[in-house]
Amino acid sequence: MGDYNVFHHMPWSGAYAIYFFVIGISAALFFFSALSWYRDDFKSLRTSAFYVSFGLMAAGGLLLIGDLAKPMRFLNILNPFYLNFTSPLAWGGLNLMSFGAVSVAYFYMMRKKDDTNSRRLAVIGSLLALGLPIYTGFDLTVHQNRPVWNSPLMPVLFVAMSLVSGAAVASFLAGRNEKLLATLRQFMLWSAGAVGAMLVSLLGTTAYGGAGQELTFMFMTSGALGAVFVGLGILLGTAAPIALLLAPYGRQQNGVLLAAGLILVGGMALRYSILVGGQIVQTYF
Amino acid sequence: MSELRLSSIETRGVPGKKRYAMVIDLRRCIGCDACMVACKAEFDVPLGVFRTWVPYRVVGTYPNVRKQFLPRLCNHCDDPPCVRSCPVGATYKVEDGGFVLQHYERCIGCKACMASCPYNARFLLPKHRTYTDITGVVDKCTFCHHRVTQGLVPACVQTCIGRARIFGDLNDPASEVSRLVATLPTQVLRPEEGTKPHVFYIGADRSLTEHGRAVYSAPEVLDADRAAFNRNHKG
Repeated sequence: MGDYNVFHHMPWSGAYAIYFFVIGISAALFFFSALSWYRDDFKSLRTSAFYVSFGLMAAGGLLLIGDLAKPMRFLNILNPFYLNFTSPLAWGGLNLMSFGAVSVAYFYMMRKKDDTNSRRLAVIGSLLALGLPIYTGFDLTVHQNRPVWNSPLMPVLFVAMSLVSGAAVASFLAGRNEKLLATLRQFMLWSAGAVGAMLVSLLGTTAYGGAGQELTFMFMTSGALGAVFVGLGILLGTAAPIALLLAPYGRQQNGVLLAAGLILVGGMALRYSILVGGQIVQTYF
Repeated sequence: MSELRLSSIETRGVPGKKRYAMVIDLRRCIGCDACMVACKAEFDVPLGVFRTWVPYRVVGTYPNVRKQFLPRLCNHCDDPPCVRSCPVGATYKVEDGGFVLQHYERCIGCKACMASCPYNARFLLPKHRTYTDITGVVDKCTFCHHRVTQGLVPACVQTCIGRARIFGDLNDPASEVSRLVATLPTQVLRPEEGTKPHVFYIGADRSLTEHGRAVYSAPEVLDADRAAFNRNHKG
């Protein structure tokens, strides 16, 4: 040993992981609410999913603003003379605010029972909702020096994680609606499967990367993040729910809800470990 | 030089433009930390954070051991990722000179620039400071822009007792930095990131510039130090 270096901060703390988590769920729940205009089995989710989506979006926005070192300057994001469109954060800020505005309009139209405009806003809002996990993925992807983050998988992985976490929350809102639960079970199964497949690819490329990537792989699997990433994120939060949903018990309401609970724990753990994992090694450089 | 340029922001080799760079001759660095002190004094850099710092690694086998120093600072990249990632344009590059600087009044403190910097050159200023109201925003080395524009060299260069730090215009073929970069083997940190850093090292061993494997099993004393640091520097 005998090394000496000054300490460095991890720029993005765990608060960002919570933001990724709630905004992903918010986006998916809006999508399910919008889906209710086109599929009858989602009709019972129309208002409840929207309300939870709206609440989580507001909470996520406040969390994001609160995490800024200069919270009151979040308005700079709206200043067209300042905006730098090479930054995904600029796009993300605009996306989030547009989503908020469309959500408010959607709520107003639903209250007015204006089905035509509600339906239109549902489609527009769904596209903006899709943009939320995509931009959060890009937030990480663009940092070329960060192991794990700098992968083209990130935006797609965040979309899949958004869908699986949103479907998990929706299954708690579904009550005893068996047809809806069966559809949500399919959503969870396929998107959890997609998350699992992408994690395998991500781990493979990280393990065989350069020195920083290899060290990150070690931290995330057998090091400080091993229990959270592998234990909670992969085994308990992805593999176990898939196995549960495939089992006969996983077709019953309690089985679906149990899997949903595990998925939510895993979703948070995965986002946290991906966020922190990409920063650990760099703090020693 | 033009074949090196990939984006319009790069100014190395552009006629009529200055492109300042620093050469650090590690054969001359004695690890006295005078550069750190001069920088702290020049900018009132708060405790716990640094615009320039001098890490070292002990190499060799006892009794033939020595400390290898690697003075660090912002690399004032020709293609800086921090400029790309700032959502409000608070980080910018001065076209004539290549300085990467901050608009403090624009910075929202999202720390995207810190996340994008491969060199850990950026840090968050504390919320309270005694002598200045520049607080709670991201800061970094400026290559002493205020001194250089007055015809002086950066404070760390001025104070370096071993003349290990040499500063000048790389676009001027007669400058000392141009001559050093042209005639001696030089290294830059993390060239694979494509940032085109403009701090060049003479005599940097790759064992110094790569991520060390030792970080995976850092000694417990380091964990205690890190915990204390995190407790006292929440940003």
